[in-house]
Amino acid sequence: METIPKNEAPSVAPPVERLAYSVQEAADMLGVHYFSVYRLIQRGKLKTCHALRGKILVPRTELLKLLETELR
Amino acid sequence: MNYYERPTPLQEQANREAMQHFAEHLNQFKTNCGALHGIECNLSVTANDALKSALRSPGRVIQTDDGTQWQHDVDLSSVTSICHRRTAADLEFAVIECLPLKSREIKEALNSGHNVREVLQAFTRDQRQVLNLWKEDVKAQVKEHLEEKYPRQDMGIVVESFEIKMSRAISETRMQVQSQSRGIRI
Repeated sequence: METIPKNEAPSVAPPVERLAYSVQEAADMLGVHYFSVYRLIQRGKLKTCHALRGKILVPRTELLKLLETELR
Repeated sequence: MNYYERPTPLQEQANREAMQHFAEHLNQFKTNCGALHGIECNLSVTANDALKSALRSPGRVIQTDDGTQWQHDVDLSSVTSICHRRTAADLEFAVIECLPLKSREIKEALNSGHNVREVLQAFTRDQRQVLNLWKEDVKAQVKEHLEEKYPRQDMGIVVESFEIKMSRAISETRMQVQSQSRGIRI
């Protein structure tokens, strides 16, 4: 016997919040050129971590700290 | 793999493709190397202009985030300028960055001191470090990109050629500055 599918609202997965962003993405979020982001990193205004192959990643918490505002 | 070995057709194809993919990064990198080169070449003139401006009349006031008030002298780029302030005994100079973020503006003294020429030299040294940081990041991005597009293929030669291009962009401007400061035309 076939089961009739219930008329449920499609389940929408909650958007996954990224933990870290590339320099280019961080620049877009801050609204500056990525050279400025490298400068912020160089003088310790933005702390970073590195991906497996050495790519710089900027943690979301660091961006929020710098923006002093909630990103949505 | 030795860089001087002849690349395979696949490596040549990967190099062309990566060059296209990272063209914007490479162009921006060269532009910024050139801008730094410009500051380094005109360092003495800029330092004199800043000194003259500081002695002449009070300029536009810029207050940095720590509350210090500076007077604008000379622009170095769209976001950096040389400023000065009077201290008890002397003049203090600083390279100030005014960086407009989406939510607020960061105003900060990047390098400061009583000798404007030394302040500028410290600034250009720091900017070279930034360019090296940028170079290392692009190298890692190229590596990641190639490993995703050409899994299990040796693309070391392509990554190396990117690194050489960027290192050359940094060192060529440095060599030009050194030659010009010795009065040698190249």
